[in-house]
Amino acid sequence: MAALGAPRCLWRCAAAPLGLPRAGRALAGSRGHGQDAGSEADKKESHATKPCFTDEAVQSLLYKMTGLDLQKIFRPLKQELKPPTYKLMTESELAEATRKAIQEAKELLKMSPVLSEREPIDDVLAEDRILEGTETAKYVFTDITYSTPHRERFIVVREPTGVLRKATWEERDRMIQVYFPREGRKLVPPPIFKDENLLTVFREDRHEDILNLCIAQFEPDSANYIRVHHRTYDDIDKHAKYHLLRSTRHFGGMVWYLVNRKKTDGLLIDMIQRNLMDDATCLVSLYHILHPDCQSAKAAKDQVLHGVDLIKVFMKTESNRIGYIELALQAYQEALASSAAL
Amino acid sequence: MRRRNRTTTAANGRVQPALAGSAQEALLGSDCSCCLSPASPPPPPATPAEPVAFDTESRFKEKPWEYLETEEYIERYGEKPVWFGYRRNHKGAIPPQKTSKTCIRGKKIAGNPCPVCRDQKLHLDYRNVKLLEQFICSHTGVTFHPTHTGVCMKQYKRLTQAIDKARDHGLLSFRIPWVTLQDEDYSNQHQAVAKTPPAPSLQSQAPWYSWYEWQQPPEKDIARIRKIYKNYLKEETGPA
Repeated sequence: MAALGAPRCLWRCAAAPLGLPRAGRALAGSRGHGQDAGSEADKKESHATKPCFTDEAVQSLLYKMTGLDLQKIFRPLKQELKPPTYKLMTESELAEATRKAIQEAKELLKMSPVLSEREPIDDVLAEDRILEGTETAKYVFTDITYSTPHRERFIVVREPTGVLRKATWEERDRMIQVYFPREGRKLVPPPIFKDENLLTVFREDRHEDILNLCIAQFEPDSANYIRVHHRTYDDIDKHAKYHLLRSTRHFGGMVWYLVNRKKTDGLLIDMIQRNLMDDATCLVSLYHILHPDCQSAKAAKDQVLHGVDLIKVFMKTESNRIGYIELALQAYQEALASSAAL
Repeated sequence: MRRRNRTTTAANGRVQPALAGSAQEALLGSDCSCCLSPASPPPPPATPAEPVAFDTESRFKEKPWEYLETEEYIERYGEKPVWFGYRRNHKGAIPPQKTSKTCIRGKKIAGNPCPVCRDQKLHLDYRNVKLLEQFICSHTGVTFHPTHTGVCMKQYKRLTQAIDKARDHGLLSFRIPWVTLQDEDYSNQHQAVAKTPPAPSLQSQAPWYSWYEWQQPPEKDIARIRKIYKNYLKEETGPA
């Protein structure tokens, strides 16, 4: 044990100058908190022209596109039924209640983080060959101090060969769930997240449910979380079921995914067909932020376009389904003209 | 000469009477020398009724949802759930808060079996969602208590297991608990989860503890031990 302590002190002294960068708490969570610590990092990134999910501009665009349908956000859920309550309110009281509902809705629409996949952990801390053959099972040692954050918890595994290594991410998640169980999270991920069962779920249009389950079960930077989210977004894009996620906290993530992969055509058509021109312009401007080198971005910057013109330029240069978008735009303009005439 | 009634044994060892009427005459006739028809083998016995029922049960065992489409099911239950109209037998006005432990003990079946046990073609499987949904309230999403539906405790346990399995496989929809993600530090910079540089002995392939490998002991110790055992040392016996 003393022999183990000595090299660990050496590594600590060695590690600090080598620069495990002690960058402080760069909160990569939702938009409200990341700006103070992250603004310098953002400036550096904007110099490198790589906008992040947590940028102020990106988040405001995504928030505008998500919409705020109170009827959908506060729809009645399947639960134990109580007799209904009726309230008599004046106009001002009703306005106040609506304002409170909008505030609560904004809390519920806080977007879940979009992170890159975490690096696997495979560090060996010690090798005690003398312990080989003494045990038949692995031992997992977890630090269960209540106040340490889970990402700073030391969890190590002693193999039967005597090797002491850090636990892998899956082992870490399992151990933390054993000692600090979180509500809605199971010890073993249920088979609903396997690809064949995901198809059954998608057939029943339960995309929002599966994404909520995914958030409850997995860490945001785990491979399973990213895989399930990507499968869901792909299925929605394939069947043009964008409306299922509108006014939920997953819409922002979906738009970010589609714009990064340049699959915006279906979403654009859907927005035009539902007469959401502001959302369509937001989508096109987000595309320009993420891909500033494309033709339509340069054209938009040169000519300072707005509204329908922006969409037309984008449609001509970037999209694959020009025909459909033209038709949708035509229908929209005809509807506008007829309503204006009326 | 009247032939005794021939009995044939079927594949499962049960003894059945031979065919009557024309078949027997054909058998009798084959022995007659005047009609020199070749001895035709006796026709196979009629298949007994029992294996047919066994086949349908096993068929529904593999695909339990098919039984809910059959005419038999619709005739018996119609649009109502399987447990509709079932009445438990108990003393007094208030039924016991637990239903019977089981309807089938060994080969003996209870007098008034529960809705699931009384129909052997109903299988509580995680795949036949239509049957499972009959036991869940469509308004609240709560599974009915066995005192409401009348199922025995053994079948109720199997039912809850099937419902949980169906929910885990995504076949049954249910209310998802809402989990808000706390603002956590996802940078993974802490030593617990970041890369630690390996120990110098691991990098240089040296043994972890120096004494894992043979080390030449110091001269003083060798000399001391040689002095103690100098009478027994082989190479020093000569000159002494």
